[in-house]
Amino acid sequence: MAMNEKPTQPSPLFVPEHWQRPKQGRFFDTKEQGAVSLGKGNRPAPSLIKSAAPGVITARLDELAALARSNSLWTLTFGLACCAIEMISTHMTNHDFDRYGVVTWPSPRQSDVMIVAGTVVKKMAEPIRLLYEQMPDPKWVIAMGSCATNGGPYWRSYSVVMGVDHLIPVDVYVPGCPPRPEALQDGILKLQEKIRHDARNADVAPDALTETRS
Amino acid sequence: MTTTDQRQVDMMLNLGPQHPATHGVFRMLLTLDGERIVDMEPHIGYLHRGSEKLCENESYGQIVTLFDRMDYIANLNNELVFVRAVERLMGLEVPERAQFIRVLLCELNRVASHLLFLGTYGLDVGAMTPVMYTFRERERIQNIFESVTGARLMHNYIRIGGIKEDVPSDFTARVRAALEFVKRGVDETDRLLSFNEVFLLRTKGVGVIDAKTAVSCGLTGPNLRASGVPYDVRKDNPYEVYPYLTFKVPVGERGDCWDRYYMRVLECHESISMIEQCLDLLPDGPTMTQTRRIARPPKGEVYVHAENPRGDIGVFLVSDGSDKPYRLKVRPPSFCNLVALRPMLLNSYVADSIAILGSIDIVLGEVDR
Amino acid sequence: MTQPPKPTPPERPARHGPPVEVAQEVFDVQGQETARLLARVVGTNALESGGRDEVPWVRVERERLPHVAERCRDDQSLRMDMLHLLLAVDYVEHLEVVYILLSTQTLRKAMLKARVPANDAQVPTATHLWEAAHWYEREVHDLFGVTFTGNPDLSPLLLYEGFEGHPGLKSFPFHDHDEF
Repeated sequence: MAMNEKPTQPSPLFVPEHWQRPKQGRFFDTKEQGAVSLGKGNRPAPSLIKSAAPGVITARLDELAALARSNSLWTLTFGLACCAIEMISTHMTNHDFDRYGVVTWPSPRQSDVMIVAGTVVKKMAEPIRLLYEQMPDPKWVIAMGSCATNGGPYWRSYSVVMGVDHLIPVDVYVPGCPPRPEALQDGILKLQEKIRHDARNADVAPDALTETRS
Repeated sequence: MTTTDQRQVDMMLNLGPQHPATHGVFRMLLTLDGERIVDMEPHIGYLHRGSEKLCENESYGQIVTLFDRMDYIANLNNELVFVRAVERLMGLEVPERAQFIRVLLCELNRVASHLLFLGTYGLDVGAMTPVMYTFRERERIQNIFESVTGARLMHNYIRIGGIKEDVPSDFTARVRAALEFVKRGVDETDRLLSFNEVFLLRTKGVGVIDAKTAVSCGLTGPNLRASGVPYDVRKDNPYEVYPYLTFKVPVGERGDCWDRYYMRVLECHESISMIEQCLDLLPDGPTMTQTRRIARPPKGEVYVHAENPRGDIGVFLVSDGSDKPYRLKVRPPSFCNLVALRPMLLNSYVADSIAILGSIDIVLGEVDR
Repeated sequence: MTQPPKPTPPERPARHGPPVEVAQEVFDVQGQETARLLARVVGTNALESGGRDEVPWVRVERERLPHVAERCRDDQSLRMDMLHLLLAVDYVEHLEVVYILLSTQTLRKAMLKARVPANDAQVPTATHLWEAAHWYEREVHDLFGVTFTGNPDLSPLLLYEGFEGHPGLKSFPFHDHDEF
């Protein structure tokens, strides 16, 4: 588009009636309809809505939903082995997991997060996949402990799956054998961070974030 | 004419492997006639990790870590029984101080394990509060373990010929301080739960098993003693320093769920008294015998068993003289206790099945190994 | 379903390290007494005997195993009322099935052993004697392929349907498995 031409399309932005585009200014070229920097660094345009309705915070709906979701993660009550004891400890009195909005739920159909706490054996592979498929979207998986991550002390045993990521996509790996409750709390915080980050960058690389490890 | 036919149609109810009340990945198929359980088929193996096979490929020192992960609530008791099997084959004499510390920590672990049972059993029958109290006390015991062994759960502390290192200097004071809290916590749970009206209704006279069936099923530990058989390895075949300690073995009468529950409460008190005796008697001295760094037991086989919080754990060890065992077989107490689940469940109500399963106190890591 | 053919056992490498010692088998007081009682109960069925500390063992023919176990259970001086453990050991050329019996009344322990040829692994069942035998036998059948004749249900207990081979055997590799 040439500089002097008027745009044929109206501005997609919502412009309230009482607002007037500044005729003169440091950052605005009066000749052009859109906001353009005049150099001196790439300065962002001020938010229109901020000046239109002061006191209102704007956000994208995705990010807002992610914020809400990440602060109310319901985990599936699903203990496999040793790590389950530490998982219960995390939920109990001393390391109160409710502080992060993490609540255990006995049914997969209302759960958001599956904490795979323990060794995944080949006989258990099908039930785990079934449980994962029963959970409603959006859903996340935390692989807790070295067994769920890569087999751990039972590496290449004849009946052990070498990590739960061979079955279902994993979002956060928590190392340790077993991880301390603090480590699991850190894992949940990392997951919250990831949920918000994914919402922020949803259109950047939509598939890269949900792809499973091959 | 058709009414009898309609009665023949039984309902199958699947429980598990993912069920919040199965304490792990246990699955059972119940066949129901109305509310009554007429048949029950247990399915295990959802946590079969092949530990026994892996043990044959690891040196004796490394196997202790695998034993930690078998019964993951009573780790030190498990370590002890394996280490004793190797020591007996090698003919090692363990210093007295090490023996006292081993027994002390094992009894602490027994209290921790029973506390977990008391809490989760309350949860199974619908009492939400006790589990909060018991886990508070359990954390105190785990803090002691952490100060001694460096880990909260997987200790790897009991080694062949002794223990890894001596306890920290403030160990006695720490244990005494924690015991005060634990004692109070056990009492609190006892007052809160044991004679609660609802709890009694849920557990009294439910899941009864008589002594003869219990012995035939191989039931051991508090579950067997609840049926009136006073069999306790610590008393009947004493090992380590148990002969020096005075303690009673609580024995039940009816063999129902409440008896099995209350055995654990009484055992907590006995264990706490044993820990105090150990602290009083704790001698000075070395904590490790002089042995080769790599244990090579002589060729032969040995069977050693000991009392675990869940029952009688045994280790059958065949050595061919190398640094790896030729064959290692564990006698898992929970495995045999699960055999007794079927006679307990038959002809009881389906609503009681969780109360009965919870009262056996299984650990699936040990059942499946 | 036909059993897959057993792979040939791998050659064991030459052993390094100090020479192999053989552990001394010495009874304690209780063990001597139990061994005497056990010898009387087992009688002429015994092929070989020995033991360590308080646990004596007797080797019998595999067909006689449940019979001898029953006599140990019903004998008034032994009263072995609990089948403590049932296991199998793979000695490559033959398997050994071991019963460990325990008495909750006389507090004695004893082992009964029987050799089973590897190509014809069959032992009579002991489920009619102890209920605990049922699961033990299923487990041994899973891991070692020993068939207990007379056991009504030898379906997989620890493993799943369709698992190939018997992982307890020495010929089964430790780590060489396909990833799931």
